[in-house]
Amino acid sequence: MRLDLILRVGAKLILPFILMFALYVQFHGDYGPGGGFQAGVISAGMVILYAIIFGVRAAKHVAPPRIVEMMVPGGVLIFAGTGVVSMFLGYNFLDYTGFAHDFLHAHEWGILIVEIGVLVTVCGTMIAMFYAFVERGRT
Amino acid sequence: MEVIADVISWCLIVPGCFFLVTGALGLLRMPDVYTRMHAASVIDTLGATLLVLGLIVQAGLTLVALKLVFVLALLFFFGPVASHALAQAALHADVKPILAEDRRGRDVDPGPAGSAGSKEEPSS
Amino acid sequence: MILAAAERAGTVEHAAGAAAAVQKDPAMAAVTANAETFVMMILLTLLAAITLAIIRQRNLFGVVILAGIYSFLMASVMIALDAVDVAMTEASVGAGISTVVLLATLYLTDSVEYPRPRSVAIPLFVSLVVGAALAWGTIGLPAFGIADAPIHTHVAPTYIEYSKKHEMPPNIVTAVLADFRGFDTLGETTVVFTAGIGVLLLLQGGWRKSHNSRRDDEDNELDTDGDEA
Repeated sequence: MRLDLILRVGAKLILPFILMFALYVQFHGDYGPGGGFQAGVISAGMVILYAIIFGVRAAKHVAPPRIVEMMVPGGVLIFAGTGVVSMFLGYNFLDYTGFAHDFLHAHEWGILIVEIGVLVTVCGTMIAMFYAFVERGRT
Repeated sequence: MEVIADVISWCLIVPGCFFLVTGALGLLRMPDVYTRMHAASVIDTLGATLLVLGLIVQAGLTLVALKLVFVLALLFFFGPVASHALAQAALHADVKPILAEDRRGRDVDPGPAGSAGSKEEPSS
Repeated sequence: MILAAAERAGTVEHAAGAAAAVQKDPAMAAVTANAETFVMMILLTLLAAITLAIIRQRNLFGVVILAGIYSFLMASVMIALDAVDVAMTEASVGAGISTVVLLATLYLTDSVEYPRPRSVAIPLFVSLVVGAALAWGTIGLPAFGIADAPIHTHVAPTYIEYSKKHEMPPNIVTAVLADFRGFDTLGETTVVFTAGIGVLLLLQGGWRKSHNSRRDDEDNELDTDGDEA
């Protein structure tokens, strides 16, 4: 029996629920407290917990550094991209009115996509920073 | 009906607060890392559990009560895991627990009366 | 000033909550206002105590834990001000990610603060002057949460009525963040992106040499699990 058996079993129990809670906070940001920033930090916390308990090498199988480094500017791209798309649709920058037939649905779609962009950037930044700190080794 | 719910939740919240204060007092007064952790784990399991149960009674049969049940399950299962992780980290860092036989040799006055407060507390 | 920053964070929700409370029952509003003030005073006193402890503490590991406690107390202050979104962000970032990253930093450097090399008179004088100037500046601000401050008469009612008229989603904070003030949120996301890239450049040097090195990673910087094999 390894020394960290309780921690490993406990982490395996809680990790899916952390990710589910992050997605819940993200998509229920319209109806309760939440949004992209909180969800990004919570989902990054899940990967960091996995890295602390199971080792950074195992965490890098789950969240490869290349994908994480692409997530960092990817979220800004999604966010600014919706603004540019709405400019192509004939409206102002970041005016969501052109995304659907109805005012309400168009704005809900716009908020959803923009918050996903925020989630991707924040999550990628936190995980990439953690990887950078851990890889440096003792000087 | 609301009076009964209020009475039950009072009977749950007030002992929860009492255990919180007791745990905090033990955290301050205990001499060793391990005994302090033992006192602090009371805060997590007994204090927070009774508080959340009182809040569930106050919330009635709504969605808030279901969310509180999840919060309770989380606290109840992972408070002791956190205490275990802390104790194992302390053991791994070679923090020796203060055992009874260590303290017996340091007693200034081993008489029957007044020996409760005369044991010197080691600096931690 | 902590109170001024929290005030700007929670003004819209606080005004809406206070207005709703006053409409319900004037006596109840008075009681809840006093209880809220009491809770706020206790929380701010604890914040000041934690700050003093952080200053006096020499062991950096203790400072990191105290900083996490400070973030939790700050989140409680924001909940007492009815700003739950900001409280959730503060709790998750300050008490979660920030603690982990600071502990990783401690793993890379020493964990005891070096003694002060020179005297403390001039920095103390500068801090006192700047703090006094800030406190003097807040005298000119309107009273906290008062109903006829400019932000409550021009901007906030416009947003609230606009979202009520168009039946937008109930959380006005998200609507303001992502829809009315979406450009500011784009700026915030760009700031996070820039900070992340800056940290990555500082820590990983120029090119990506970390993918080529076969160095064995130290897996536990927090001493939470046993040795590997």
